[in-house]
Amino acid sequence: MIITNNDWVLNKYKDIYNVVYIDGTFKDVLIAVRDKIHIGHELLTHPLGSSVKPSETPYKSVIVSDNKNYTSFDSIYMIENAIITYDKFNKDKLKLISDKVKEDLKLIDLTVLESALDI
Amino acid sequence: MEVKILKLELGYIFIKDIQFSDVSKVENGTLYVNKEEVKALILEDQNFKTADVELAKPGESVRIMPVKDVIEPRVKVEGPGGIFPGMVSKVDTVGSGKTNVLKGAAVVTTGKIVGFQEGIIDMSGTGAEYTPFSKLNNLVIICEPIDGLKQHEHEKALRFAGYKVALYLGALAKDLTPDEVEVFETPNLVEGIKMYPELPRVAYVFMLQSQGLLHDTYVYGVDAKQTLTTMIYPTEVMDGAIVSGNCVSACDKNTTYHHLNNPIIYDLFKEHGKTLNFVGVIITNENVYLADKERSSNWSAKLAGFLGVDGVIVSEEGFGNPDTDLIMNCKKIEAKGIKTVLVTDEYAGRDGTSQSLADADVSANAVVSAGNANEVIELPPMEKIIGHVEVADVIAGGFDGSLHKDGSITAELQVITGATNEMGFNKLSAR
Repeated sequence: MIITNNDWVLNKYKDIYNVVYIDGTFKDVLIAVRDKIHIGHELLTHPLGSSVKPSETPYKSVIVSDNKNYTSFDSIYMIENAIITYDKFNKDKLKLISDKVKEDLKLIDLTVLESALDI
Repeated sequence: MEVKILKLELGYIFIKDIQFSDVSKVENGTLYVNKEEVKALILEDQNFKTADVELAKPGESVRIMPVKDVIEPRVKVEGPGGIFPGMVSKVDTVGSGKTNVLKGAAVVTTGKIVGFQEGIIDMSGTGAEYTPFSKLNNLVIICEPIDGLKQHEHEKALRFAGYKVALYLGALAKDLTPDEVEVFETPNLVEGIKMYPELPRVAYVFMLQSQGLLHDTYVYGVDAKQTLTTMIYPTEVMDGAIVSGNCVSACDKNTTYHHLNNPIIYDLFKEHGKTLNFVGVIITNENVYLADKERSSNWSAKLAGFLGVDGVIVSEEGFGNPDTDLIMNCKKIEAKGIKTVLVTDEYAGRDGTSQSLADADVSANAVVSAGNANEVIELPPMEKIIGHVEVADVIAGGFDGSLHKDGSITAELQVITGATNEMGFNKLSAR
């Protein structure tokens, strides 16, 4: 299951994977992921970026398992930590990015996601 | 013929100045460059519509931005293979014989690949203190892609342009007598144990960024995302076996220059036979898929255990999800009774009080910090800008109002190329 607020991801994968589209912020995506984990979905990709910080991009895509199982402590730890990390960054800059930059950020989010989908 | 000790001699030709000239050559410590030949070399790749080349020297009032990669010119003089194997040279194994280095020179690539631009190098002023590249004689490549070129194709074209120009300059050193020679010898496992049986055995776990466009590293041309944790001779790294396709974010990405001059490898060689027995280098990736993180860190720990080392140094690249790889490597290696020392940078907030990494564990009790990337700095205006100054507001570490009318920039340390390099490249320290 891909949880994302990136419409490029939705449009490209909605017929192939189970895509849950969040019409909201990066944090809304993290919260949605956290909620899924608490009911037993497993986190499959790390919820943070690896260089583009939460203060620099509004887009995030995270993969969790389609099926529910037992609630994984490792997954809870990772997502809760990600939310704490997210909160410590100043997000004022995000209000001012141009449409061209937004497209580039969507692309980066998409390519990082695809590195996990083996594409 | 069995090679019990792999030997590489690095011959340094010290470069103290760089100038444009009719003929490209190195003479009396000056690197002379034929501008038109370099431009023609870049434009061999039809993905570029224009190419230009500029010089940036230490102490000049020059700002280069956005910086993608920095590469040191080197050339194989003796021994198999060529510099940057698998990329612009064939895949023959490097790391032995002789390699000449134009020490004090660098090729810097710039260009708008995506909208959020990365990397500033100031050649003087406050900013110059935070980057090692302000001390080098830089040949800066500025090239514009053809219209409609996709970002990943642009990134690839620019990456290769950098290596080609670095090889072109390096070739000028091939027949020169070096000013100084440094010898690096790596014994095989059996020889190593025989040579220094009483010294603690130490390995280096070298983490490579591997997450996608602008976040990639290549080993003999192979995308590190696709690799299993493995071993490499430290001298292979000195011949460019590992190169950077990574440019986000500027302060803690390992440029190709950093890879060639990995200070952890250099320092381990210095201590080899004195305070420790430098056994070897384990390279491991930083994928975003969690099972890959588990697999790779399991493998690092397995190899460290198999080598029977007493301790490892682990260096990370990046921030955020690679912090999880760092902690996994640390925990699993420590669980085998092997001591670890981690080298990383911090994102501890503007005041330095937030948790520095996105992950933590009690076994990570020996950590060397390369600096706080959230630290705010003021960069004075520079007389000359090579590149695009208007991107200051959108680069990592910049914020609205970063670029002031007088050309000065207020931004986080993140914006400066190499500022908090996680191999511990820089000399600034805090007490």
